[in-house]
Amino acid sequence: MVVCLALTAAVGLVYFAKAVDALGDDARVNAAANYDDRELAGGTALGVDQEALVEARGLIPKEETYRLVVGSRATNIGQFTRYFLMPRRPADDARWVVCYECDLSSFGGELHVLWQNDAGVAVGRLPG
Amino acid sequence: MTGHALAGLAVANSVVLVVGTCLLWGVRDLSSWAGVARLSGLGYMVGVAALGVAFTLELVLGVPFGLATMGITCVALAAGGLVLGRALGRPRPRGFGVERQGLALVAVSYVALVGVYLEAGFRAGRLAPLSNFDGWAFWVPKAKAIYFFGGLDEQFFRELANPTYPPLVPALEAAAFHAMGSPDVVTLHVQLWFFLTGFVAAVAGLLAPRVRPAVLWPILLLVLVAPRVVNRSLEPQADFLLDYFFALAALLVALWLVDRRAWQLCCASLFFAGAMLTKREGQLLAACVVVAALAASWGTRRVAWPRLVLAGAAAFLLALPWRIWFRSRDLTGELPSSGFLGLFDHLDRPWPALRSVAGALLDTGLWLFAVPLAVVAIVLALLGGARILPAYAALVYGLSAVGFVWVLWSFTELALPYDQDEGVNLLTRLCGSLVVLSAGLVPLLLDAAWRGGDGPEDGPGVETNGP
Repeated sequence: MVVCLALTAAVGLVYFAKAVDALGDDARVNAAANYDDRELAGGTALGVDQEALVEARGLIPKEETYRLVVGSRATNIGQFTRYFLMPRRPADDARWVVCYECDLSSFGGELHVLWQNDAGVAVGRLPG
Repeated sequence: MTGHALAGLAVANSVVLVVGTCLLWGVRDLSSWAGVARLSGLGYMVGVAALGVAFTLELVLGVPFGLATMGITCVALAAGGLVLGRALGRPRPRGFGVERQGLALVAVSYVALVGVYLEAGFRAGRLAPLSNFDGWAFWVPKAKAIYFFGGLDEQFFRELANPTYPPLVPALEAAAFHAMGSPDVVTLHVQLWFFLTGFVAAVAGLLAPRVRPAVLWPILLLVLVAPRVVNRSLEPQADFLLDYFFALAALLVALWLVDRRAWQLCCASLFFAGAMLTKREGQLLAACVVVAALAASWGTRRVAWPRLVLAGAAAFLLALPWRIWFRSRDLTGELPSSGFLGLFDHLDRPWPALRSVAGALLDTGLWLFAVPLAVVAIVLALLGGARILPAYAALVYGLSAVGFVWVLWSFTELALPYDQDEGVNLLTRLCGSLVVLSAGLVPLLLDAAWRGGDGPEDGPGVETNGP
């Protein structure tokens, strides 16, 4: 019993020091980031274009729906976009379009592009 | 923004503490303010569980979720506790009183260490990014959906991953968003810090009058500093809250087996309900605890079994409306796709599943040696002359481990041997429950070994108040 408790106490104290060190490091790293970095951290790991999503959130009104159209190389961002753009709802027939490396010509010139970047991400609105 | 959000969270969690303490006073005596302070962690966790269950029921019933609903629910629960306490003639806490066991040097030292640890955790969590997959993929979006739309939005709760997962954690996180004044997914980590702090305080408060500080605190600290707890306990997911509810329920049942105080079983039942409504494996874990308690109380089964069954049934009834809600909407994914008996078509899976579970439980890189320590504590308690507690503990750990094997065996889409990345590892999450349980059960077992029996009669200062 005494050996068991002594071992527990010793290991606990060693790992206590490690834990406090690790948490301190985490706190420093977290403090160095800005709010968008923290909120978009999950998407960053997926290679999501942070600026594009922030622009989309700024342009699309909260009560509107949007559709995400992705190109063949960017198929894994749907879940993150849904999380980030809430309360905006995804809908197949939405006027607002977030085009992620998609082919803009597929909209037949009807998409009014409000924002676009060199990486092929665009935010726009269809008439109607 | 963060200062405002932190202040909102502090106020909200103070309200949770008051609500839980009122409920606790409804089911047991709190004769002095020192006793109230000692059990404040338990009171807080009772408040978390009660409000989580109540919010879930309200969401299922379609009650609009917002600040007004939250406030009314808090007032109703607190008033319910006070009315029950009055009806049962409980004395009001008077004076600061004298707890029979003061804070020994060991306890003071460890309280300081735990305080430093929690402070470091707070600093790390306050500005933590939302980077874990399950957090941003469905737990936090569900919370956002409740916050923005005031209920279980049909579209989001159908389209988001794991639609049958219960909404207790999203509801509590949505309440935190309301308290913060915005869906601040960064400061949200602090809410998880409150849960961790409440759990630590609850275990310490429950065991302090019974277990020697030199036994209690080193084990509690060992669990807290396990790498997985350090790295993951503040992530906005449901795993650790499930572990806290399960561990507190199992600990209270263990105490009930030797004390037979009704309030212990009442609180355990509430924590069972909380566990069942936090994650679906909460049902498995609650069943393991109830079955273990039934077996451990075989000698007094005529008295004990009806009460244990009632506690389990009451918890299940509280969790039932959510099951009806998701089944009525044809949401699936709750059970193995091959059904309960389909696992017998896969007899090549039990052995690798067992090896995977054993490997996960004994992973010192994640859990240090919390589970092996539990095994040693069970053996020492048996050798020391205790019978009920070690039998109960052995069954809880054993049945739960068998349950985890069943999960791996029956969900045939999981490749075996199971070796997923730790961040999304189902088995690691399951095993966390037994590790967190060790924070409460191992000190109790070692104390039983020290005293040479299950009962509290010759303990260092066992509380006796409350029916």
